[in-house]
Amino acid sequence: MSAPAGTFQERVDKALGNAQLKVALERTTGNARRKRAAAVEAWPDFVAARAAAAAIKDHSIDHMAYYLEMFERNALASGAQVHWARDPDEACRIVIDICKAANAKTVTRSKSMLGEEIGLPHALADAGIRRVETDLAEHIIQLAGETPSHIIWPAAHRTREDVAILFDQYHREKPTAHDVVSMVGSARKELREDFFAADVGISGANFLCADTGAICTITNEGNAELTTTPPRVHIVTAGIEKIVASTEHALQLTRLLVRSATGADLTQYTTFHCGPKRPGDLDGPDQFHIVLVDHGRTEMLTEMPEMLRCLRCGACLNHCVVYRAIGGHAYGGAYPGPMGSVLTPVFDGLEQTRDLPSACTLNGQCRQVCPVDIPLPTMLRHWREQSWRAGYEPKTLRAAIGLWAYFAARPRLYQLAQAVALPAMRLFAKGGWISSLPLASGWTAARDLPKPPGESFLTSIRKGGTP
Amino acid sequence: MSARNDIFAAIRKARHDGAAPATIISEAQACSQAMKRTLPPLDTSDLVGLFTARVSAEKVGATVERVAGLTDLPAAVGRYIAANALNTDFALQPDPRLEQLSWDNLRPGAPLRRDTALAVGLALGGIAETGSLIFHSGAEAPTLYGFLPLHHLVALDAQSLMPKLEDYAAFASGLPVPRNVNLVTGASGTTDIEGVLARGAHGPGNLHIVIFN
Repeated sequence: MSAPAGTFQERVDKALGNAQLKVALERTTGNARRKRAAAVEAWPDFVAARAAAAAIKDHSIDHMAYYLEMFERNALASGAQVHWARDPDEACRIVIDICKAANAKTVTRSKSMLGEEIGLPHALADAGIRRVETDLAEHIIQLAGETPSHIIWPAAHRTREDVAILFDQYHREKPTAHDVVSMVGSARKELREDFFAADVGISGANFLCADTGAICTITNEGNAELTTTPPRVHIVTAGIEKIVASTEHALQLTRLLVRSATGADLTQYTTFHCGPKRPGDLDGPDQFHIVLVDHGRTEMLTEMPEMLRCLRCGACLNHCVVYRAIGGHAYGGAYPGPMGSVLTPVFDGLEQTRDLPSACTLNGQCRQVCPVDIPLPTMLRHWREQSWRAGYEPKTLRAAIGLWAYFAARPRLYQLAQAVALPAMRLFAKGGWISSLPLASGWTAARDLPKPPGESFLTSIRKGGTP
Repeated sequence: MSARNDIFAAIRKARHDGAAPATIISEAQACSQAMKRTLPPLDTSDLVGLFTARVSAEKVGATVERVAGLTDLPAAVGRYIAANALNTDFALQPDPRLEQLSWDNLRPGAPLRRDTALAVGLALGGIAETGSLIFHSGAEAPTLYGFLPLHHLVALDAQSLMPKLEDYAAFASGLPVPRNVNLVTGASGTTDIEGVLARGAHGPGNLHIVIFN
């Protein structure tokens, strides 16, 4: 598995040069946008529902200690073992220690973004434990040696043609045909034995229910239950912000989560897992471990509490014009798109990731489609301001903005400059578009600029014309 | 300090929470009520009709039939086996209400295996809003019966249908918490390749529901 290499700019250039990527992203995110729009249309009060969902999450965030203690108490009573981790290293160490104590050779894993965030795939490899990803998309990218590029569709950057090549190369029994259904059937056969050969199954959690001590997973393939039920040990890794007051709150949030993610009313499998196998049970794990991870979340309680509402539905990715152009790998972190550009600076530090909040047009689409009304554009602006204040922006950018500010604060000078620049820019236009411009090649390399009008808005208003 | 203590100290430092439990409980209830007020109108006068419409919609993709009573289940299973050209051997969820039925020429004794073609089960209830079947795991309802077979045929008591997800939450709060709650909404599927829905990922590719009175 290789993490995306190079600087953000290099990764973006590479992504923009990949025409196949654009096709793959548009197929997946286009389908997602259409299905979400239909689902939201069937819920007339969806705007009010978003506010109610935000209030449900805010309630559990406001009383986080109370509910986490209640969750722990109920989970322990069910026979679960609860572990706490301050950071990714601590979390991975706990998981690896459990695997070693169970003498695990093979673990199956059901998709978990928290697992990606803490680097669990690497930690398992370093410990010499065989990892089998069982979610179809995770299986695809494991074969390709890649990281996820979308939080709901980790293989969103892969077309069906790519998947056919991978399955033909790696599956013990090749797909009978290269349509989607045949390839899904091929993956079913390929992973069947692994579900039963695994010593440990690892999952994430969509919710931690305080009232029962159960964790909730929301999936559609059936791989999660086949990952968590047959092995001797089930390990859950989850961020502490997944806590909710009750099963009722979890189900109410699921209504919005699923509609926003896939457009369904409910995905196929909404499962609550509570403790290990009980007397009389014919299946289920002997041990059930829950690893609760902080990793910056307690700091977010003060800095950006609204971000702790995030349900990881991926709607902000699907509607982001930047994500749709560059895909997930360019962002470089576990979480791409608008929510990733807010989260990655928390995890990796703003100095290293200051490009992410800038890779945004601030068109506000992400907030509009967010099922818990997270003010993502405001948060991205907050990071930009922090980055500016901390002096992380390169000198050239600071100088350019300084120059612009000089003119902007002097309206006559600004208008004069505009009067010179507009006709000059028009000289570079062909057929209404400018496809290359001196000093702006970075901008025009992957985009065309519309030919500007001959005079500015103000000038045309002064002349009494219509702008 | 332990990680646990550190985390709780950091939470309490950021959020001094002096609220009394009674206040928190009433706040939580107010949140649920506020959400309920936003829900789209749902005509719940005919729960069987509503459930049937949801579950057979393309999004969910299950098939449904109605029979007079649970004693008619073996005949329904026989018809399903014939229609899908399956073997008469199948795995039966070890629920006494199913085991005591008269299965005649069908053979319900097959063990559940990783390549089981058909398993027959009994749901604890159903949710009409979403077309979901409810299973609570236990000695009489092992989890894997709903996940290993290629065909899952489930008997559902019409009386056990409830209108909405909130009704299930209220119903469950009065029961012991099982190891697994499985809310199953249609046959297994995936949209992982280009967002296109394909049925029969790792779980059952076909879900057939027999509603009885």
